[in-house]
Formats: sequence, structure tokens, C-alpha cells
Amino acid sequence: MLLEVKGITKRFRAEQVLQDLHFSLEAHHTLSILGQSGSGKTTMLKILAGLESADAGEVWLNGERLTDHKAGQRGVVYLYQEDLLFPHLDVVGNIGFGLSLRKVPRQELSDRVHDMIRRLELVGQEHKMPHQLSGGQRQRVSFGRAIITNPRLLLLDEPFGSLDTGTRQRMQQLFQQLAAEFRITSLFVTHDLKEALLMGDQLGLMQQGHLKVYPSKEAFMQDPETGVQSEQAFWTSMGAGSE
Amino acid sequence: MKAKFSQLILLLLAVSILFPFGYLVLMSLASDWTFPDLLPGYLGLRNWREVLGSEVGLLWSFAQSVLISLAVAASATALGFGLSRTLAFHPQRRLWTMLTYFPYVLSPVVLAACLSFFFLKFGLFGKMSGVILAQFMITFPYATIFFLSFWSNRTKGFEELALTLGAKPWQALTRVLLPLAKSMLLVCFFQTFLISWFEYGLTAVIGVGKVQTLPVKVFLFIKEANFYYGALSCCLLIFPPVVLLYLNKRFVFNKLI
Repeated sequence: MLLEVKGITKRFRAEQVLQDLHFSLEAHHTLSILGQSGSGKTTMLKILAGLESADAGEVWLNGERLTDHKAGQRGVVYLYQEDLLFPHLDVVGNIGFGLSLRKVPRQELSDRVHDMIRRLELVGQEHKMPHQLSGGQRQRVSFGRAIITNPRLLLLDEPFGSLDTGTRQRMQQLFQQLAAEFRITSLFVTHDLKEALLMGDQLGLMQQGHLKVYPSKEAFMQDPETGVQSEQAFWTSMGAGSE
Repeated sequence: MKAKFSQLILLLLAVSILFPFGYLVLMSLASDWTFPDLLPGYLGLRNWREVLGSEVGLLWSFAQSVLISLAVAASATALGFGLSRTLAFHPQRRLWTMLTYFPYVLSPVVLAACLSFFFLKFGLFGKMSGVILAQFMITFPYATIFFLSFWSNRTKGFEELALTLGAKPWQALTRVLLPLAKSMLLVCFFQTFLISWFEYGLTAVIGVGKVQTLPVKVFLFIKEANFYYGALSCCLLIFPPVVLLYLNKRFVFNKLI
């Protein structure tokens, strides 16, 4: 197992946000976590990234205890719902940001950034500033900026939440393609049922601070709490009504 | 007709704004100008030459004012930026923000009188360091309040993202936060410089006549009824802010709009 989460608990004053979370994730797999707003998804991701501290519990990554490591030392990149491109940097500057922090030699940095730009189909946009890009292009840059650093774990917090339907579908495909190409291990958090099913190798459901990870896609679909069955029933009734 | 009227109004406004500055320059170049003479008895650079070559101390006052204002502006801007971050995300933000307004409840002279015991005790009375500290106490809360609007969940998001991408906290500061706040930092630096530059009451009390910044000198000349030197020192007083305003407009304001 690459990622192992053992007994993570978090409380904000009187509110219990996370309750004894236990789960694991294999390398190069994506765990999709479905959950409504306020279910504790973001807090869990921030704890894994080292941006919040847990009241109890441990996080292990590739046999290494991460709990005491600071955010910058974990090799875990956290992507927000917003693309958060640095407004003072152009596309090249944004994608190369993580590499420049690691003092990668200039020529190597340039080669890797331009290779990533090509893979993201952003050729010709290299020197555009974030405000000159479309929503989809911005999200591509955001992915590129994270992936180029070869993160051990990528955390995605509803990354397509602000995109229109068409762009969202293209970005889902792009992420799957990149995840396979770069052998990425990731946690993908969403409140969209279809997106959770599409993106995950493993599936989980988060409700009021509890996380339930399912052994298979079938088990996820058969659980009435995930909403898959009611969704199926809705579309079946729509189909019957139109006949 | 309407256009001509607008132009006339504009011209009147321009004259009313520029006249005091032109008159100050004229006064600084004049001497022996008594009523009812229409023109001064002498018009030239004599006053300026005397000031530059004599012991009236205007040049030293100018240099001292520049030093004090630079020190006050730099320290207030840097520390205000840092403190505002802590304040913005503090659970008791409202209480702490309210307390930052405290120095403005009192007028600077009254504040100086209240603080004078401590300044005397620490040997800061009549010293440049004392004046810098006193002016810092006025500008620091201003800078802190000024930067509060910079910090938001989005700013925090940028910082956290930089950290997870491998930045150390100081790298997140220098590579992300400072570039994001660049325009605000420049504006704050200019504002606090100007507050310090024109400060009189606090400086007069804490400086006890030993630290003679330009505003103190201007009042001294006016009290002595030396209008020509007064006008000259006013020219020196106005020159740096005009340069700053120009730089502000050229490098900051044009980028903000």
C-alpha cells in the first residue's frame, strides 16, 4: 500500500469534523471520495497535505510516517477547486514553479516545462498570463504545475467544480490520461456522483466525518446511501414515461 | 459655449491648485519684498545659496527628515504586513483590529505627552531613534489596518499551494505573497512615508527641539517671521512627496487600473 491513514480524528471547537478515519490506497490508483459540502472532505485532504493538524491518528506514505513532516517535505500536492494560478507568473512560470523551488538547472527546467506544455496541448500559450487563459486552459496549467513535480500523492479537491459541463468532461478525460501516463496516485474528492464513478479505481463515501471505502465499484453502486440506485431509478422512470 | 465654460473652470481649478506652489517658489527666491512694492527688491538664488552654504541647518534637517521617514516607512510597512497576516486569521480578529485603532483615539501631541515618561526613562528623548519610534507607533497600526484587506482565503490558498509544491515558508513569502502584494506594499510605503514626512506634533514633543525635521524647521521660521526661509523650507518639504506621487502614479497607479 502506498498510502495508509490510521485513525485520523479532527474537531473544530464543538464540531466533530473527522471521526476515526481508516483507509489505504494502492500506488498509481485513484480513490474517488463522494461527499456533500461540510462532510469533512476538505479537512481530510488538508490533514494529508500537512496544511492542518489532526487531533489524533497517523498518515503513512510508502512506509514513511508523514504526520510530523511539514507540508513542503511530504511530496503531497493539494489542488483546490479554484485553479489558483499565480497571477504574477505566465504559463511557463506557473508550470515551472515547483521545479524552480527545487533548483533544477535552467536548461532541464525549460525542457521539462515545454514538454509538459506540449502534453497539455498548450503550445502557443507559453507566455500568456493567467487572466488571458480560458477556464479549461487554466485548469490544465494547474495540473501541469502539480504533476511536473512528480508528487508522491496528488490531492484533488473538487477540481472541476467551477467548469462548464463540456470543459468538465474534457478535463476528466485529460486527468485520466495524465494519471495513467505519469502513474499518479491520487485522492479525488467530488460531490458529483457520475464524476466519482468515472474518476476512481476505488470509491469512498464521506458523511458527517465518517469515511466508508468500498471493496469494489459494484459494492458502491449497491449501497443505497451513495445515491446510485435512486439515480438509476430516476432515469428508468424517465425512460418509462417517455415510451 | 459649454466646452469653453468647462475649459475656463478647469483653468481656474488648475491655477488655484498650482498658485500656492508657484508662490512658494517665488517667495523662496525673493527678499526685501515689503508692502506696497509690487515686485520683490531682490529675485534670485541668494536664499538658496545661503541655505546651502550656511549654518541654518536646513540641509541637515532635510537629510534627517529623509532618514527618519525612510526608516519609519520601511519598518511600518514590513511589520504591518506581517502583523496583519496574524490578525486576519486570528479567531479574535475583530477585537485586535479594534485595538489597532487605539493610537488614533488621541491626537499625536496628547499621545506624545502620554508616552514622554517612557521615552525619558529609556533615554530616547531628543534623539532621532526616539522620533523614529514615536512616528512608528502612529504608522504601524495604519499599515496593519491597510494590509488587512490583502489577506483572504484565496491568499491563504496561494500560500498553501506553494507550500505543498515544495516551498519553504520564506519561499512562499518571497516567491508568492510579496509579488502578490507588491502594489499594496508600494502604496503603503508611500503613505507611511508621507505621514512621517509631514508629522509635526509628535516630533516636536519627542524631539524637544533637538531633532529638527523639516516641518519643525518650517514652524520655527514662521515663528521667527522669516517668510523667505519658511518658503524655501516648504519647497524642500514639498519636493520629495511630489517625486513620490509621480513614482506612485507611474509605477503603481497605472498598473492598478
